[in-house]
Amino acid sequence: MDPITFSIIRHRLFRVIDEAVITLKHVSGSAITNEGHDLMVSLYRADGSLLMGGVGFLHHLTSAAEACKAVIRRFEGDIGEGDVFLTNCPYTAALHTSDIYLVAPIHHEGRLVAWSACFVHVYDIGAMVPGGFSPDSRDIFTEGFSSPGIKLVEGGEMRRDVMDTLLNMVRAPEMVALDLSSMIAANNVARERMGALIEKYGADAVDEACGALVDQSETLLRKRLRELPDGRWEARQYFDIEGETCRVLLAMTKEGDELTFDFTGSSPQSHYGINCTYWASWGGFFAPLFPLLCYDITWNDGVLRPIRMIAPEGSVVNCTRPAPVSLATVGTIQSVNNAACTCIAKMLSASEKYAEEATAVWHGSHFAIFMFGLNQRRQEAIGILTETFGGAGGARTWADGIDVGGEIPNPIGRMANVETTEATFPVRYLFRRARPDTGGPGRWRGGNALEFALVQHDSPEGGINYVVSGKGTEFSMSEGLGGGYAGAPCAYRWVHNNRASEAGRNVNPFPTSLDEMTGEAETISWGVFPLKGEDALYVRSDGGGGFGDPLEREPARVQADVEAGMVSAEVAAAVYGVVMANGTVDEGATAARRETLRAARLAAPVAAAAE
Amino acid sequence: MSERSGTRYVVATDVGGTCTDAVLFAAGEPVRLGKALSTPPDFADGVLAAVGTAADDIGLATDALLARTALFMHGSTVVDNTLFTRSGARTGLITTEGFEDTLVITRGAYGRWAGLTEDGIKHPVATDRAPPLVPRAKTRGVPERVDYKGAVLRALDEDAVRQAIRSLVEDEEIEALAVSFLWSFYNASHEQRVGDLIREVAPDVYVTLSSEIAPVPGEYERASTTVINAYAGRIASDYITSLQALLRGRGYGGPLLVMQGYGGLLPAEEAAERAVGMLECGPAAGVIGSRHLGRLMEDDDIIACDMGGTTFKVGVIQGGAIDYAREPMVDRYHYVAPKIEVVSIGAGGGSIVALDPATGVPGVGPASAGARPGPVCYGLGGAEPTLTDVMLLVGYMDPGTFLGGTIALDAEAARRVFVEKVAQPLGMSVEEAAIGIYRIAAAQITDLIHEITVERGLDPRDFVLHAFGGTCGLLCGVFGAELGVRRIVVPYTASVNAAFGLLSADIVHEYTVTKTLPMPSPAAEINEIYAPMVARARDQLAAEGFADDAIALDWSIDLRYGRQVHEVTTPVAGGGPMDDDAVGRLAADFEALYERKFGKGSAYRAAGMEMTMFRLTARGMVERPRIERAALDGSDPGAAQIGKRDIFVEAEGGFAPADIYDFERLSPGNVIAGPAVIHTPITTIVVQAGQSGRMDAYRNISIELG
Amino acid sequence: MSGKRISATLVVNEDRAIACAACGHTLGPAGAPWKDHARLDEQPMQGAGGNPYTNAERVLLRRFFCPGCGALLDTESALADDPFLTDIVRV
Ligand SMILES: [Zn+2]
Repeated sequence: MDPITFSIIRHRLFRVIDEAVITLKHVSGSAITNEGHDLMVSLYRADGSLLMGGVGFLHHLTSAAEACKAVIRRFEGDIGEGDVFLTNCPYTAALHTSDIYLVAPIHHEGRLVAWSACFVHVYDIGAMVPGGFSPDSRDIFTEGFSSPGIKLVEGGEMRRDVMDTLLNMVRAPEMVALDLSSMIAANNVARERMGALIEKYGADAVDEACGALVDQSETLLRKRLRELPDGRWEARQYFDIEGETCRVLLAMTKEGDELTFDFTGSSPQSHYGINCTYWASWGGFFAPLFPLLCYDITWNDGVLRPIRMIAPEGSVVNCTRPAPVSLATVGTIQSVNNAACTCIAKMLSASEKYAEEATAVWHGSHFAIFMFGLNQRRQEAIGILTETFGGAGGARTWADGIDVGGEIPNPIGRMANVETTEATFPVRYLFRRARPDTGGPGRWRGGNALEFALVQHDSPEGGINYVVSGKGTEFSMSEGLGGGYAGAPCAYRWVHNNRASEAGRNVNPFPTSLDEMTGEAETISWGVFPLKGEDALYVRSDGGGGFGDPLEREPARVQADVEAGMVSAEVAAAVYGVVMANGTVDEGATAARRETLRAARLAAPVAAAAE
Repeated sequence: MSERSGTRYVVATDVGGTCTDAVLFAAGEPVRLGKALSTPPDFADGVLAAVGTAADDIGLATDALLARTALFMHGSTVVDNTLFTRSGARTGLITTEGFEDTLVITRGAYGRWAGLTEDGIKHPVATDRAPPLVPRAKTRGVPERVDYKGAVLRALDEDAVRQAIRSLVEDEEIEALAVSFLWSFYNASHEQRVGDLIREVAPDVYVTLSSEIAPVPGEYERASTTVINAYAGRIASDYITSLQALLRGRGYGGPLLVMQGYGGLLPAEEAAERAVGMLECGPAAGVIGSRHLGRLMEDDDIIACDMGGTTFKVGVIQGGAIDYAREPMVDRYHYVAPKIEVVSIGAGGGSIVALDPATGVPGVGPASAGARPGPVCYGLGGAEPTLTDVMLLVGYMDPGTFLGGTIALDAEAARRVFVEKVAQPLGMSVEEAAIGIYRIAAAQITDLIHEITVERGLDPRDFVLHAFGGTCGLLCGVFGAELGVRRIVVPYTASVNAAFGLLSADIVHEYTVTKTLPMPSPAAEINEIYAPMVARARDQLAAEGFADDAIALDWSIDLRYGRQVHEVTTPVAGGGPMDDDAVGRLAADFEALYERKFGKGSAYRAAGMEMTMFRLTARGMVERPRIERAALDGSDPGAAQIGKRDIFVEAEGGFAPADIYDFERLSPGNVIAGPAVIHTPITTIVVQAGQSGRMDAYRNISIELG
Repeated sequence: MSGKRISATLVVNEDRAIACAACGHTLGPAGAPWKDHARLDEQPMQGAGGNPYTNAERVLLRRFFCPGCGALLDTESALADDPFLTDIVRV
């Protein structure tokens, strides 16, 4: 292929996706799509394989490919120009029912030449709990409508009967209709722009460029894998749901230019909706793999070719229908992300050339709080608190993790302003800040997490409800790397000010920390709860993992952290061995303290004896 | 000379990153252009030098010209420069207790990825935030709280404020203070009280209140804006004051008008208090200039492109209206101030042409050789092939006539380096490879313009393309044709775009009130919101010497659908005050605008509509002479033809002979048939085969695409 | 320390032994699990950092130290009965 035409076509394919994403955001107009960037648009080749992935929630790049392939199989002979198909069945392709895929064939002169696909997290899906995150569901049947494939638009015409049926099964049908329209519009733009591209350069040239683009990615990734040492790396993730402890075990093997992700040994599927289907796990490790290994390689099917997955049937990473999955995206999929991040990072650390690309885990628990009820204007308000996109960066091998710095699998998430949320929901924030001492200690510190607290404010019903799908409250899910510690676990507290008030105590209306709150703070982690009266909800997300030995951290950096309020003086002394006196490092005491800590290490037993 | 002694000039100067431009004219005289290198940090030297070169044209010394100047308009990059070089004041921040980290954590990952290219975003491990202008240690939270309605929930703790001020001044030695509280745009009383206390406790500290500089929702962006203004405030005000003094000393007796990022001018005294307003004012002036030129030529829909050495910038004018940026940034800091939307990519004459080391695929930019060492052909030590070198290789630039022949271009060196680094590795001939690179650059620009028009729901085929800047004229014939624009105009003032824009700008004050009202609401309620703004605007413009008939007040209101995030600023047709019919018309106009911008079917009426912000744009119309139209000559350009040579012709897919013209010898009315090249003293214009370029009465080259 | 890097803290030396990158102390042959040779401190994760870690009562922070110099070679979070994670790098 002539490199000039190739360069131009490649650039234009990126822009096709950009323009489709803009269209999707424009039409949707929802906060989760526009603020959280919880969306994806990508292009697929005629056989449904990934041609070009856009920046969005990256778990979906591969799953939407499966959606295309499922439609190709199911509708063979019945795929026409201007059709749009809907799939949201997690056992077919989707991650959970709330993330609806709309996939659309792109034809040129009557021939199917490509597909476009997109997703958004729709406003409601008709599950037990408004908004779709459904902790009380014990099977897929109570998680809302689920289609393995249905034609929504035929030859450019909306199938009204289908649309009406779908909208008949959800709360706030007009909002869901808008979500679906936005995806139809995005697919239309992708089709028009692909059409113009083919018009200008010819179908054969475009197809050749697309083939070359996929081959190029495969070649580049295989070359990179050959540059990395062969080996086998392990990672383990725990999470706790209502007393159940789940494990995700991953052994990643690299041989030559191929990678295998083996989840053998992971827990049996859960009773709760945190399970991953096969395609959710497949997307789950690709989400960090794309940015960690392919930051300079086009994200497409070529990246998939050298990679294999083993996921035992009936396990939490490959559950069997009808296991519930509505919380997969904030559940097991995050552990798959994290375990893959750890294994890939260990592999990168084993290479002189790529060590700087390694990172400890970011935003491991991906806590999520979902709100529903009436807002201060008596309108129905359903939505996620965008703090879920706040995150915390894992430490790099050359720099600290970024405090409240986001996550790897959604490279462009962001959280809303406090003022935006206070205008949308009947709540008042008591505080929102980076929480000191949550980032995993290390030579390079993990990013600190977010902590915030809410009370209801001006609610016409005296309050609002929230869904907590907490895992990572007992376990640190953001693992450290190369000796760095894991970040601190997350925490959810229901502060019982109402009870305190009934008992005659004066409730502090303006606490600026958990300690200043009046009522008893009950630890919660799973289920639907009220935020009523004077009660408060306190949330702390988990800190990013650290990198390297905390005793190797330069004392000046520890001092800067203490000055900025990011690390307490106690942790500075206990963990980093840095003793502060009058706001500066006491060098003598620090040297002595570090010597003592080192001596204690050498007095520890040999590991073989412990095992 | 004597007949000119009564002539009154209008002078506009724009200080850019590299060059300072000047434009001046007077009634009955042609527009004169001047250019000099910018001279940071003492920018005034460059300003006087640029004015001097333009004054030379009329045979006047700088002082003599200034003595005959009626209006001096000025735009400057001084505030941008303060941010880019981190040379602002030691700044502190006072904010609501419990929210001290708002500035530092930037809405989570937002500050980490905003402002990065797509390549940067895809590589999160390598990303970081810019260090905050106010570190956490110089931030103090004080007890106070206002809610989403503007109600005070917790009184301001004045003792805590005094203590915070003292500790910032004494322990942290801050020189400037930003104050930003939650919901202060609904209730500014706490911020105002803190402002009083600062003046009482630390009178030397420069103060900015968020409710004054950016009274809009969104505490992160508001705090960031406030901090930027405090950080650069004193530098900006010193800059303006000293320029004013310097001009006075050189004989200028009129007002100094300073350009703002929203495309209007402010009197120096006011501009000095609003450092953040000067951000990106150069590109804004460019768009204003484009609109003015469009009015002269009776074009309302314009895509304004400016391509210089390092970047390609584009703004859109639709129906004579200009778009404002929603999430502007300077360097990597967010701010909220009305700012004309100008999108840029790293593609300019100095952009380096390179093959991807891993794939061998060629690309242009975003790395740039800048002005130094610059392109290989400049012979200033540039060793990487650039787009300018490619322009030489495709025959568009003439080694002998560049910059009026003042710099001899080294074509041999350009060829040698291009062969070694590009053509040979690609296995192509020099010509093939140069044509290929040229096409890649044109395609990237096409894609960018397409994307930004789609973002606005527009079709580029409805637009006229203005090609400003030293490099744009070389490419516009190709990307303009692919976009299918109606016509291309390469303005006479193409090389001094921003300064030309200043000439056409008015004094503009922007006022806003943030308040949520359901739609419809009684007109009286809306008028009540506007009444104090209107009074303030009239007083201000009257104080600036504008008579009633030179004042225009434009009302516009931001509306959105319930539960939707997109807000659309909708002009109030017919202006204010409104009656209930006007409210109905506003709703209809909003709906039409919304569907046009966001697409058919995007409107969501189920949850109703609401008004969220009330804007008043108050313009004082500056009196200025009209730009003269030259008399038109015949269409034959023969007298200006200076030769013939082979150049790349897109329609031929290769080289073909083309006529070469000297811009200086063309007469208004001349028509040039492509393929042709027109050399101006500063730039080069290529007319592709099948296109024809006509010099109009303002000496613009207007290219019909045929 | 010379040798081929196999992690952020370990190398394989000229004698094909895994060694501490800081001091050269060896921890068994290349290509074999090395953690048994390290010194191990296991404590509840709640003691790993400050107050935010107090919820982590059950899970252990395992720290593997170089017996030669005390360098922290690797960490794991683990429930008591779970085996060491094994990383094998072939260089
Ligand atoms: Zn050692």
